[in-house]
Amino acid sequence: MIRAVVTRTFILIALVVTPASALAQVELNGSYSIRMYEDYIERGPGSFLGDFTGMPMSDEGRAKALLYTSNLPSTIERQCLAQSPWVGLYRPLGLRIWSEVEDGRVVAWVMGGDYLRDTVRIWMDGRPHPSANAAHPPSGFSTGHWEGDTLVVRTTHVKTAWIRRGVGIPGSDRSEFTALITRHDNLLTITTIQDDPIYLTEPHVVSRVWEFDPNGSQAGNNRNTCNVGNELPALEDTGKVPHYLPGQNPEEEYMVKHYNIPKDAALGHAYTLYPEYRKMLRGSYKPPTSCDRYCCGWIERQGLPGAAPGLTCNDGNLPRALRDALTNPRQPN
Amino acid sequence: MTSSRFVVALVAVGLCASIEARAQRRGGGQPGGPPATPRAGAPIDLTGQWVAIISEDWRWRMITPPKGDIVSIPLNLQGQQVAEAWDPGKDEAAGEQCKAYGAPGLMRGPIRMRISWADDTTLKVDTDYGMQTRLLQFAPAATPASARTWQGATAAQWLVRGGGRGGQRYGSLKTITTNLRPGYLRKNGVPYSERAVFTEYWDVHSLPNGDRYLVNTNVVDDPVYLQLPFETAIHYKLERDTSKWDPTPCDARF
Repeated sequence: MIRAVVTRTFILIALVVTPASALAQVELNGSYSIRMYEDYIERGPGSFLGDFTGMPMSDEGRAKALLYTSNLPSTIERQCLAQSPWVGLYRPLGLRIWSEVEDGRVVAWVMGGDYLRDTVRIWMDGRPHPSANAAHPPSGFSTGHWEGDTLVVRTTHVKTAWIRRGVGIPGSDRSEFTALITRHDNLLTITTIQDDPIYLTEPHVVSRVWEFDPNGSQAGNNRNTCNVGNELPALEDTGKVPHYLPGQNPEEEYMVKHYNIPKDAALGHAYTLYPEYRKMLRGSYKPPTSCDRYCCGWIERQGLPGAAPGLTCNDGNLPRALRDALTNPRQPN
Repeated sequence: MTSSRFVVALVAVGLCASIEARAQRRGGGQPGGPPATPRAGAPIDLTGQWVAIISEDWRWRMITPPKGDIVSIPLNLQGQQVAEAWDPGKDEAAGEQCKAYGAPGLMRGPIRMRISWADDTTLKVDTDYGMQTRLLQFAPAATPASARTWQGATAAQWLVRGGGRGGQRYGSLKTITTNLRPGYLRKNGVPYSERAVFTEYWDVHSLPNGDRYLVNTNVVDDPVYLQLPFETAIHYKLERDTSKWDPTPCDARF
């Protein structure tokens, strides 16, 4: 009798005191289209080598990144290094989110997206993170909880990776991510805060927007494995690791020469991320006289699906035939 | 009363007292009623000094890009033509050196902003960059704004979650800004028109280490110069050391 009453009492307590916050959540299931209005060059055509702007890199991270060459990812053992759990924030395609339910309760949210080695599974059932000595799977290990309409995610146990696209900026396997996933109406915002005691000097913060799109293409969401293959026959079975020796990377000065950007900003020093740095540039920075590469973003895709009619932009990136056709349209007879 | 029933009753009374106390702690209004004012009912605390972390689009936000560099903004043909005609000298001559400091451009700039309550229904956002002031108004203005301004007129609304059964309240701020004076989304003359509508969602996230981030998810909808709504998220970090606040006037070139 006493036992039953105690049980009922605890159930009553649980029902009454369970914070509403734990129950608050929003529907995330669905497909989301990318809105690539930030870091377009990196997410679209690809970064310029030597462009580490906006990064709070340590000396070790910078040194490692400067060893990178664009054919390094072609080595078999490095072909998946570009595919860390939250690298989707630097990729050009959409994502899909679905829930895994047991007994009517969401036990995990799963994110699939372009170019991931694995789906990112966010456990919601209260399980702890594994031992620090546990294996690091391709997607790391993630747990989440709701704070209002934000799904707060902690990701640990990641692999060593390249954390931005195509420039060799490294992230160590000691990185931990906090991801904040918020949906407002049809807009999905994902903010990641990466701590890396090896390659970063302060947390690296990125925030991106997607838009709910029930008609979104699923094609990019099904690549949940990283397939490796021999990309450069010249490297096959040679044991060669393409690289630049320290101090010999010809791209180290690219941003300085091409965009007049000070080298400390181009090479990712944390203090260059804050407004006071801009004031240091007053009087010394001179913008290039014109834009000559990747100037137009959306517009350079003119003539391709999705572009508005009549747009022209000569920045040298369109195939010549297409550029000529658009800038010198043939008049009807 | 048996001892077991007494236990249940005691627990129930205790819980009710606890819930009532928590209900009274939040909101500031009458127990069980709506908060007395938007300030009293704020589900999140936006006040303080926030600094933009320029970890995205560095080359377009930290410094003035060259004319014609319109990458990533979904301009239409008319918008592109206006961007390509950018002349900062003309803006200076016309006294319009603040064109890149209107709300849609300002928030993506290299700013520090101080958010405070101007009164119980108005949040004030001051920036050192361009020395601008935005007023986020929860109550309708007594008289509709007539002249268009760089910061326009902003209607604010809390989106509240949680709080039931005495639990923690969460939420966001949603603002919609209209009545804007035509300005620039980017320092190099990428335009928005007076018909632009600027919608923002303000979320505050507190990390276990005490760091606080403000994420502003926003949409610029401009039927004149954009093909599609321009949707971005901008993040800021709370600064407890406010010594780097450095007001500087608008500058049409740098």
